[in-house]
Amino acid sequence: MVAPRMSIVSVQDVSKDYLLGKAVVPALRGVTLEVEDGEFLSIAGPSGSGKTTLLNLIGCVDTPTGGTVRVNGRDTATLSERSLTDLRLHTIGFIFQSFNLVQVLSVFQNVEFPLLLQGGLSRRERERRVLALLEAVGIGDHARHRPGELSGGQRQRVAVARALVTRPALVLADEPTANLDSRTGANIIDLMRDLNRREGTTFLFSTHDPKVMSHASTIVRIADGQLVGREATGIAAGGEA
Amino acid sequence: MRSRGRAAAVLVQIAFRNLFANRWRTIVIGGVVLLGAFLVVVGSSIVESIDTGMRRSIQGSLGGHVQVFNESSKDTLSIYGSFMGDSVLEPIEDFAEVKVALRKVPNVREVVPMGIDQAVVATGNIFDQALERLRADVRARLDGDRSEDRARAFESGKAHVRRMVALLRDEVARARTLVDEASLRESDREELARSHADLLRATSAPFWEIELDRDPLAALEFLENRIAPLSAEGGTTLIRYVGTDQGAFRRAFDRMELVAGTWVPEGKRGALVGAYYAEEYLKLKTAHRLDKIRDALSRGRRIADDEELQRWVRENTTMTRDILLQLGPREAEELADALRAFLGSKARQLRPLLSSFLDATDGSFADRYRFFYDRIAPHIRLYLFGVGDTVTIKAPSKTGYINSVNVKVYGVVNFRGMEQSGLASMMTVLDLMTWRDLYGHLTREKGAELAEIKRAAGVKEISRDDAEAALFGDGRPVLEEGKAVRIEDPHLRGSARAAPAALLERTYSQEEIDRGVALNAAVILEDPSPGAIRRAVADVGAAAKAAGLPLRAITWQAAAGYVGQLVFVFRLILFVAVLMMFGVALIVINNAMVMAALQRVKELGTMRAIGAQRRFVLLMVVLETVAIGLAFGACGAALGAAFVKVVALLGGIPAPNDQLLFVFSGPALVPTIDATSLALALLVVFVVSVLSGIYPALLAMRITPVQAMASEE
Repeated sequence: MVAPRMSIVSVQDVSKDYLLGKAVVPALRGVTLEVEDGEFLSIAGPSGSGKTTLLNLIGCVDTPTGGTVRVNGRDTATLSERSLTDLRLHTIGFIFQSFNLVQVLSVFQNVEFPLLLQGGLSRRERERRVLALLEAVGIGDHARHRPGELSGGQRQRVAVARALVTRPALVLADEPTANLDSRTGANIIDLMRDLNRREGTTFLFSTHDPKVMSHASTIVRIADGQLVGREATGIAAGGEA
Repeated sequence: MRSRGRAAAVLVQIAFRNLFANRWRTIVIGGVVLLGAFLVVVGSSIVESIDTGMRRSIQGSLGGHVQVFNESSKDTLSIYGSFMGDSVLEPIEDFAEVKVALRKVPNVREVVPMGIDQAVVATGNIFDQALERLRADVRARLDGDRSEDRARAFESGKAHVRRMVALLRDEVARARTLVDEASLRESDREELARSHADLLRATSAPFWEIELDRDPLAALEFLENRIAPLSAEGGTTLIRYVGTDQGAFRRAFDRMELVAGTWVPEGKRGALVGAYYAEEYLKLKTAHRLDKIRDALSRGRRIADDEELQRWVRENTTMTRDILLQLGPREAEELADALRAFLGSKARQLRPLLSSFLDATDGSFADRYRFFYDRIAPHIRLYLFGVGDTVTIKAPSKTGYINSVNVKVYGVVNFRGMEQSGLASMMTVLDLMTWRDLYGHLTREKGAELAEIKRAAGVKEISRDDAEAALFGDGRPVLEEGKAVRIEDPHLRGSARAAPAALLERTYSQEEIDRGVALNAAVILEDPSPGAIRRAVADVGAAAKAAGLPLRAITWQAAAGYVGQLVFVFRLILFVAVLMMFGVALIVINNAMVMAALQRVKELGTMRAIGAQRRFVLLMVVLETVAIGLAFGACGAALGAAFVKVVALLGGIPAPNDQLLFVFSGPALVPTIDATSLALALLVVFVVSVLSGIYPALLAMRITPVQAMASEE
């Protein structure tokens, strides 16, 4: 291949139908999308347009009705439940709209959790990596706190740290700022953007907030389950600078 | 794998965090488990203690470890009888052969021959005894004894009997007021009228002052035949006994110890009465009730608020007859004086004095108890019979006749540690010879000899049922003269066959004791562990077969019959209770965990999304229930153990009634904790928590990451 950058995500003519009672509701209708390594890509569209469905398919938590989804070169339709789980664990980081931290674990333990699932790192290494990351997202002082003791913005920072702790190739974020006020939301996007630049991690996030999209290197617009446009904002993708 | 170890560590951590995070749920689940474990430990330690106690009682007093009996018996040996009565066994013809054969079996220490049965002991009633003394004095006087002592004895005896008759008249008069005579049959009404007339005659002054002096024998006969039967007294008591080689028995059951009297001299006939039996059945009821009240008070019970104690006091105040009848007029007067002084009472009659004396309260009981034993007991017989007495034991023999044997009571025995056990100390231990007489077994040789004699004498074999017809059937009188005499008194019929006094003096050799019939034999082992007992049953059976003896060997437990089954029943009850308890626990835990899983859809889905395998979630939920189960189960077991310990330190669970004395093998059940109960409790808790965690865990496992994304916080 001539291309110096490979596609981390390759979505080919993907459709997804949901059954609502007896009615078949199409959520995606033939979407094709390539995401290159290091992109900071925003999926934009009104709610109900299929953003979340697309992210779920890319995140290997759901499988398409038609078409193929490749993540890191692997066709998700051919993988077992176990392999999909492994793929998520090692390749993908998730940031959720409502943070989804484990309430009974401390901030430190929440971030450490994926490393424990992966195994392989010594306790000291884990500690070093988790603390460095918490420092990087700006909540190094709250390592021992429980999620319940933190503000929404702080919680989402923890979630970002958790998504990045395994050094995944791809981070998926479904409406990461929807539950935050606009200033805090902007801070989170800045944080993600910063990490994208420094680490070259590919970010894929959905949003309907134009201010948030404006930080993206690429904006993909989606409506009624179909891709309706793809534009480069001119903002440099991660690792290019 | 290192990673697996870490995953396990985080599993445990999350599980415990969740327990603390959901305190309410943890407390509910934990409470149920704790209670369950507590009950398992306490219940099983109580059942184990009952088992141990019964094992000790049965093995140490009668059962031994293995029992053998004739294999052609219809019933199985049941040494304590069964609900259907005593087991009917074919006899072991010659115990000596059995002894020789079984002693060769490894691990066998002693083989003890036994014949267990019930019999009736004639105790005579107080009336008969007083009349007998009076008759002796009359005889002596008729034979020319004119001494002053004799005259005094005669007068005092006469006064005693006269007093008794007066008491009897009052009693019968009281009883008549309770009877609706119109409803009686004609014959019964006549009988009542006659006895009334008899009593009037026997209490009249002319009878005592004129009749008795003029024709003393006729007067005595009148008293014996017409008056004495009116005092409706037992006159007999039932005993359970074991006829045995007393030497071997003592060696085998070394917990047996003397309470009073002596052992039966080696080779002699004689009886050792069980102390518990003596107290319960032979002791004067009033004294026995006083003893029971004293014991109850010493255990902290109070007459004031204890219905049973109040009942005993009430019975004592109304049942004074046995004491009154035993006192001569002089003694009665002296006692009445003493009681008036003691009670500060002005009452004239002894009966009400005695009644109010026995109407004790918590405060006055101790003094009255002492007064009773110091001042009243010396004048009366406290036991129906006791050490030194020769009693007549009667039992239906194998041939159908009532056999009657006199035997001397040498001692009263107890089984150490089982003093209060109705199992151990009920038995009277008789010698084997006396049992053989009562049993009336014809050995094969004797049977053959008898048949030979009959054949030689030309006697036809006539069955008992046909005897009457054979003798009188054709109307031709067999006996030309003399009239048939019905002997009403069973004493007379019995004494015709009673062993002559000389037998009581005879000393039997070991050879004589061993050679002859026995019903069963207890085998005592050197090593009495359950495994060794099972092996011994097989070994003994094989040895008997090899020796050509028709024996069947069973364990002590089987031989104990329903008594042996009792522990099994308790175990079953406990098992069912525990099963139900944990059935409930299972449902409660399951429900709580299902609810917890549903509340945690988002958390679990998130874990799945960020890379936790299904198995991880499954294990996490199961681990949570197991953690709760084991933590609280351990607490419950520890509490149970502590509870048992405290109960034991406080002297155990007192047996609230006589039935439980039997089950507890003593006045109190002192439960002990054993490792098995604890291990069992934890095992049950573990299994239950794993089982109750499985369904919620499967449910949790099926939660998809998509659900985590969708659900709002």
